[in-house]
Amino acid sequence: MSEITINSYVILSTILFVIGALGVLLRRNAIIVFMSIEMMLNAANLLFVAFSRHLGNLDGQVLVFFVITVAAAEVAVGLALIVAIFRTKKSIDIDTLNLMKG
Amino acid sequence: MGNSFVFMLLAVIAVGSAIGMLVSRDAVHSALFLVLNFITIAVFYVVLNAPFLAMVQVTVYAGAIMVLFMFVIMLLGAERLRGMWGDRPSELVFAAFLGFLLVVTFLIALVMEGKTAVSANMIDSSPVALGLRLFEGYVFPFEVVGILLLSAMVGVVILTISNKRGKNV
Amino acid sequence: MNAFGLAPLLLIFPVIGVLFNGLVGRKFVEADREIGEKWTGWFGTIMAFSAFAVAVSLFFSLQANGHHAEVVHLFDWINIPSAGFHVPWAMRIDTLSVTMMLVVTGVGSLIHIYAIGYMHGDKDFSRFFAYLNLFLFFMLILVSGSSYLMLFVGWEGVGLCSFLLIGFWFSFVDKNGVWKNANAARKAFVVNRIGDFGIVLAVILTFWAFGSLEFDVVFETALEMFKSKEPLLLFGQEVAFGSVVTAITALFLLGATGKSAQIPLYVWLPDAMAGPTPVSALIHAATMVTSGIYLIVRSNTLFEMARLSVGSELLFGVISTPDLVALVGASTALLAGLIAFTQFDIKGVLAYSTVSQLGFMIAAVGMGAYVAGMFHLMMHAFFKALLFMSAGSVIHGMEHGHHHLHDHDDDDFDPQDMRTMGGLRNRMNITSVVYIIGALALAGIVPLAGFWSKDEILAHASANDGGIFTAVYVMLVIAAISTAFYMGRQLKMVFFGEPRHAAAAHAEESSNLMTYPLIALAALAIVGGLANLPHFAAEHGAEAGGFSYLALEHWLEHSLHAFELTEEHVLHMPHTPIQIQWSVAIISTILAVGSISLAFFVIYKDTSKANSAPDPLQKTPIWWTSVLPLNTLYMDYFIPAFNRMAKWVAISLDWVFWHDFVHNRLVRDMFVTFAAFTSSVLDQKGVDGIVNGVASTTRRLSGFLRQTESGYVRSYALSIFMGAVLLVIYFMFATAG
Repeated sequence: MSEITINSYVILSTILFVIGALGVLLRRNAIIVFMSIEMMLNAANLLFVAFSRHLGNLDGQVLVFFVITVAAAEVAVGLALIVAIFRTKKSIDIDTLNLMKG
Repeated sequence: MGNSFVFMLLAVIAVGSAIGMLVSRDAVHSALFLVLNFITIAVFYVVLNAPFLAMVQVTVYAGAIMVLFMFVIMLLGAERLRGMWGDRPSELVFAAFLGFLLVVTFLIALVMEGKTAVSANMIDSSPVALGLRLFEGYVFPFEVVGILLLSAMVGVVILTISNKRGKNV
Repeated sequence: MNAFGLAPLLLIFPVIGVLFNGLVGRKFVEADREIGEKWTGWFGTIMAFSAFAVAVSLFFSLQANGHHAEVVHLFDWINIPSAGFHVPWAMRIDTLSVTMMLVVTGVGSLIHIYAIGYMHGDKDFSRFFAYLNLFLFFMLILVSGSSYLMLFVGWEGVGLCSFLLIGFWFSFVDKNGVWKNANAARKAFVVNRIGDFGIVLAVILTFWAFGSLEFDVVFETALEMFKSKEPLLLFGQEVAFGSVVTAITALFLLGATGKSAQIPLYVWLPDAMAGPTPVSALIHAATMVTSGIYLIVRSNTLFEMARLSVGSELLFGVISTPDLVALVGASTALLAGLIAFTQFDIKGVLAYSTVSQLGFMIAAVGMGAYVAGMFHLMMHAFFKALLFMSAGSVIHGMEHGHHHLHDHDDDDFDPQDMRTMGGLRNRMNITSVVYIIGALALAGIVPLAGFWSKDEILAHASANDGGIFTAVYVMLVIAAISTAFYMGRQLKMVFFGEPRHAAAAHAEESSNLMTYPLIALAALAIVGGLANLPHFAAEHGAEAGGFSYLALEHWLEHSLHAFELTEEHVLHMPHTPIQIQWSVAIISTILAVGSISLAFFVIYKDTSKANSAPDPLQKTPIWWTSVLPLNTLYMDYFIPAFNRMAKWVAISLDWVFWHDFVHNRLVRDMFVTFAAFTSSVLDQKGVDGIVNGVASTTRRLSGFLRQTESGYVRSYALSIFMGAVLLVIYFMFATAG
């Protein structure tokens, strides 16, 4: 079996990112939308680490560390928002949320 | 950068769990698929010479964050909604097309690139090395992230505290 | 001892009057009619008298000061050091401005007293006095300002007051449903704007040419430039000095024709008689309309320099500005004098007479007879204010008489129509006496005021040879004859003969408040000529028997720079006669007396049928019938010809051609059409169209764009994702490829 190159990681993380994006764009459950966003972040993280390994540079890993931290904060706030929305609308179906309609 | 067999195995699991998350009707199933996905990615980190990040991935993502998700799902009782997919089919088709386009774009770009880059040698990526790197070059962002976490915490408290129990917030 | 420090009070007193009458006067009048009128009216009057007292003290200060001009600096108005533009708010106290101040405040005060009686019972009593005081304030700024800019402030201010006071009864609608007074006010305002435009341009040009607006600086700089004969540099182009002065003075002339009602802008003054009579007396006879003459006298240096320009520097290359001024004045005097023949409105006759007399003054200053012009200005202020106020008294009497009839079916009754009057001499004693004095003074009968001043102008015109002066002389003599004629006609129609209307038979004398100022003015009209008596003999000294001849001449000399310049032989002034021209005096007196008698005889037989009466000019004098051939000649040739000429001038030339055709048809209709075009096409369709178009386009576009705003998170996310994908594609292929 041959060594895997950076190209394979690019493809893999692209596929994961697109699946995450499709989750955001297709699903109507706000919580699953949120999970999909986490998936997209992870796809990016994977590529960071892959490039860190590829280039022999530790900075990529440091950046992933920061991304995980920010993601944690984002999840906390985002879930709190979902709870707040649920309290008023009694639903987390994002297709019922169109107060911003022009 | 890892054995191709291992990579293919892990890649199949990662993509499969991701698709599972995408198509599960029940939010709890989605969450479980996502946990599997996160763990797979943690294994990738190990393969990619990032053991500390693998640990963090498991504890923070697969652990804390996913527990939070599960908690909220259970709290709201919002496992299933009226329909899985969005209301407007044209948007969905367009989104799928865009996603496909993105993947194709990367594939074409890589094919056009042609040659395969040679990876660098392994470097020391122990938690000690990572910690040193973090505090040598990234002290200020580190502090900023700390503030960010604090403000996120305050924000969450304000958002979720119920007004019915008093306006004293 | 001098009282120059008191000068600011001259302006402060009228302002106090304005504030009192404008702010609280109405409350007083509403609270108690009698006492309120007394307070507000007398307060305004006392303020006018106080200003008069200040003017008198300034007069004596100037005498003590050796007639030297004094500039009283109040504060800096505009100061732009980088542009060298400095206009202080300062009052120039010199013999010329003090003369004007005395006339304005003196006549003004008497008219204030008269107005208390005249405006009695008017619902806007206090507003009237506020306007009168405001007018005094602006008029005093006009005459006391030390720079052209301050003069312009006063110039515009009196224009405003004129507008406000002509339209004082602005809600009045005549029986044809026309807003007569409001329209007259607007007409005056708009016509004056044309002249004011000239003043603005002249002031700007003065600053560009001489770098200052202060009278002193302007005249001195102008003199230096005149001596050096070097061309000026305006906008990077060399312009001959004569051209610049000609342009400035021509623009001043345009302003003067507007304010002083000269051809071609005189049309507003007859309409301005719609205002209350004290206003006609104060503003449209005695003071404001003379500000054009004041302006020219003030700028005498510039005008004398313009007289000496040659060749292409002349106006249209043909005529120098002072000559044009003289011609304009003389032709106005003649035309308005002829028009006055055919007026039936008692104030209409006086209005055209005012235009005519202003023409005399303009002609005088155009000929370089600045003192004669000022002299006539003063005398005219006396007797024309007297005539107007007496006419107001007559109108008042007629209205009273009409009220006594208890006959209000007679809606067409016009208390100003002379055809309804007659025989008022017996009903209104004081008024008729002072009116006759004023009329004789105006007609130029020895030894009343008008004789001396008019004679001085005529003497000037006759003393100087030359084509234009001769023409001016002829026109002025005919105008003087017609003056005597129409005044004789008016006296006859109003005061003599039998009453032609029941109202005239029951007319009442006006109150003392109205008649006492008339008596004072009548006294001035009798003795006013003493101010500038000419020498009667060839050998003369400045003082003879303790009496000073030509007092006004010696007094004003100190303010007329052109006189001083003449002594240095820089300028050549036209010959100034200082001795009475016996031939001129005798001829003009004979003509005036003859003319008045002619008027009396022409309008000999009055019918008692008032309004159906034909033009009295068509009546046959009875005594002519006994001399048959003469009568035939007179009846068949003279009367029709004369009638036709007077009618032609009044109806065809003045009314049909000038008022109706030129002003209403050409000027007004073109202006209205243009205004309609700008308002409906340019403004509504063009400007508004663009504005509304932008707005509606924005609205349509936003209406279209808001369709894209579904409000759904997914749509926004999709847009972001699309952008991200496109960006990625761009970077992949645009940069790498």
